Amino acid sequence: MADVAQPIGILKQISLIAGLRWRLLHNNLRKKQSRLDLIGLIVLSLLAAAVVLGLSFAFFAGAYDFASTGKAGLLALLFWAIFLWWQVFPIVVAGFGVSFEFRTLLRFPLSFGAFYIMGLAYGLADFTSLAAVCWLLSIVIGASAASLTLLPALLIVTAPFVLFNVTLERLLGSWLERLLARRRSREIFFAAFILLMVSLQLLGPLLNRYENSAAPWAARVLPYFAYFPASLAGRGVGSASLGDFRGLLLDACGISLYAVFFGILLWLRFAAQYRGEELAESPAPQRPITRAELKPESRADALGLLSPQVAAVIRKEFRYLLRNGFAALLLFLPPILVLALISQAASFRFVGSKTGFSSEFFFPGLVAYIILILMAPAYNSFAYEGNGVQTYFTAPVRFREVMLGKNLVQVCLILTELVLCVIAFSYRVRLPLAPIFAATLAAIVFTVVGQLSIANWSSLSFPRKLAFGQVHGQRQSGMAVLVAFGAQILLFGISSLVLGLGRWTGDRWLPAKAFALLAAAAVGGYVASLDALTAYAEKKKEGLIEALCR
Amino acid sequence: MTDLAIVTEKLVRRFGALTAVDNVDLRVTAGQFFGFLGPNGAGKSTTIKMLTGLLAPTSGRMQLLGLDFSSHTLEVKRQIGVVPEGMGLFERLTGVEYLHFVGRMYGLDRATTLKRTGDLLEFMQLADRPKSMIADYSHGMQKKLALAAAVIHAPRILFLDEPFEGVDALAAGALKSLLGRMTARGVTIFLTSHVLEIVERLCSHVGIIHQGRLVAQGSIEELRAGIAGKEGNKTTLEQIFLSIVGQSGAERAQIEELSWLT
Repeated sequence: MADVAQPIGILKQISLIAGLRWRLLHNNLRKKQSRLDLIGLIVLSLLAAAVVLGLSFAFFAGAYDFASTGKAGLLALLFWAIFLWWQVFPIVVAGFGVSFEFRTLLRFPLSFGAFYIMGLAYGLADFTSLAAVCWLLSIVIGASAASLTLLPALLIVTAPFVLFNVTLERLLGSWLERLLARRRSREIFFAAFILLMVSLQLLGPLLNRYENSAAPWAARVLPYFAYFPASLAGRGVGSASLGDFRGLLLDACGISLYAVFFGILLWLRFAAQYRGEELAESPAPQRPITRAELKPESRADALGLLSPQVAAVIRKEFRYLLRNGFAALLLFLPPILVLALISQAASFRFVGSKTGFSSEFFFPGLVAYIILILMAPAYNSFAYEGNGVQTYFTAPVRFREVMLGKNLVQVCLILTELVLCVIAFSYRVRLPLAPIFAATLAAIVFTVVGQLSIANWSSLSFPRKLAFGQVHGQRQSGMAVLVAFGAQILLFGISSLVLGLGRWTGDRWLPAKAFALLAAAAVGGYVASLDALTAYAEKKKEGLIEALCR
Repeated sequence: MTDLAIVTEKLVRRFGALTAVDNVDLRVTAGQFFGFLGPNGAGKSTTIKMLTGLLAPTSGRMQLLGLDFSSHTLEVKRQIGVVPEGMGLFERLTGVEYLHFVGRMYGLDRATTLKRTGDLLEFMQLADRPKSMIADYSHGMQKKLALAAAVIHAPRILFLDEPFEGVDALAAGALKSLLGRMTARGVTIFLTSHVLEIVERLCSHVGIIHQGRLVAQGSIEELRAGIAGKEGNKTTLEQIFLSIVGQSGAERAQIEELSWLT
């Protein structure tokens, strides 16, 4: 019999895990790469903290205003904003979450209670939750500063509101992960998602057309939102401000019921994970199995103009992209958001309006947005290679070919999305004048190719392994994110300067000419960088293999 | 003079203050089935990583098939196959896709790659799961696939780091037979394994590394003769290994101290 005399309590288990986390962090700092990563994270955290603090003042001011003018019920608007942030933002920026996967602790005799609490605690420890809690505190302080008597009511509704959001966020993340883990459900999810997004495009025109008849319908629907936790929280505080403590307690109980309901659902999800749920891509075969039929290739090779190595890397990259549900999902977001913006621009008769805006700036802005989002993964382009990265060093291939393959896939994706957006833009709004259009095209080459050289260097210098298709427990290298920020600020800064110069000098073609020169320089620099990167990869291979194969 | 497939001269690899590989001079003749042995942490994997381009040596020279590795890296890599530690698989590809990828990376044309992919999958008994991701393969299946990928370009030297670990007896038998036929055709196989019986049965020559230093090298008969007198011709490779590497007094004392377990 094993020597474990008695099971240890939940608190002891949690403290052991906290100790483990601290040792992991401490020991990790022995490596230069990890120290750089930490520095990057600290800088990023400071930037993020500045944004969070800025918004905290806004929440403080809003809450103060509502409470001091006797409109405490309108605090619901602030609670709704926090609710949406808490549930939507983690999905968009899952790549910047916590890096420790607490499910790995299951091999120890961890009690389910400790496992559940740890899961919730991790939900509360990420950036999204910390920012949301910070803003909730700002609301509490702001409203209390206006009327101190509201403080107990604020605390009574805020506590279950936090619990509700944490449980729901963990639950949604867990479900999404489960959904994206299997190919069939992933395909259905994508189809439904795209359908939904396309449908949303019709919302604007439909509302415009049926504006009058839609208003009463909306008025009928809106009251139902009163029973959602954010509304309950605002109404509870509003009731307290009017001395209706029964209403406050009822609303607080309502939020608590939501928290309990989602807590139970989360309990069931975690219980499945605790039992050892496997989110494998495909189940073990149960039917008589079919032999692989490898028919001789009769079709011409679509990538025949490229070297076999570059073509092989391109094919592999596309397969990985399509199978990584979460990464593929993120690819759809930028064009959808752009389409939504275009739709809004068109429906508000944006072009030539008195607001002073025009497609002259709107168009380059949209393009910059797409590039900004889609280039981000290129800064850690080996994230999903795992042990496979060794193949690049054992095979007779120069690293320039590997990089070229990866970069071509990246460029292909960006171009496809850009072309779609340009078509949508020209259809719904109109293309900008020729000088701006030409300048934007040249600027695309400049910013994309310029970033690729830097991103390749960053991928080799600050690699970080990411788990395939996982939503939670992922974090990019802090330095890679910092480099991406720096490069994007630099390149977009130069671009703004060039556009500004064109406006200042009155020479409408000046930006196009300047961007053409910059693009040529960027392409030249990129080509020259490929050989240098081959040598650099050789120098960095140990770090790269260590980071990705662990 | 016999053709040498692998030659290292004063090969050194340091990690900070630790010297993992210390002045190793290896000589492996073409067509040899060479077993590279050593206790845990002796420097086996570090050596094999250097010989396959996964790790740069701190100093020393490596020649493979008469070519200097540092100046003819790509030419050397075209002629070697590797099953590295951790197998180096892209786990989100299927077996077919992975072999296709590797074949193309080695510069094989599409038709040849496809033909060999089919042959290898059939031989390795992996052809019945064409749509499964490698991530869903068992450990043994992954090992077989890694081996298939290592030989798809018909290399002249094959480096295998623990190739039989996790492979079932049936497949292991087929693999051993395949490797034996490859050496008969002149392919050099450089293998590390902790299972000394396998090495003894397969390898004609062995090298033993201990604390980063190559402490013995030669045919099994030569090594046996080196310690003859104690056991005569019945000496097993395990006995040779233990007599060369030895078990330190400290290790024995530690085992004796585990009274609560033993």
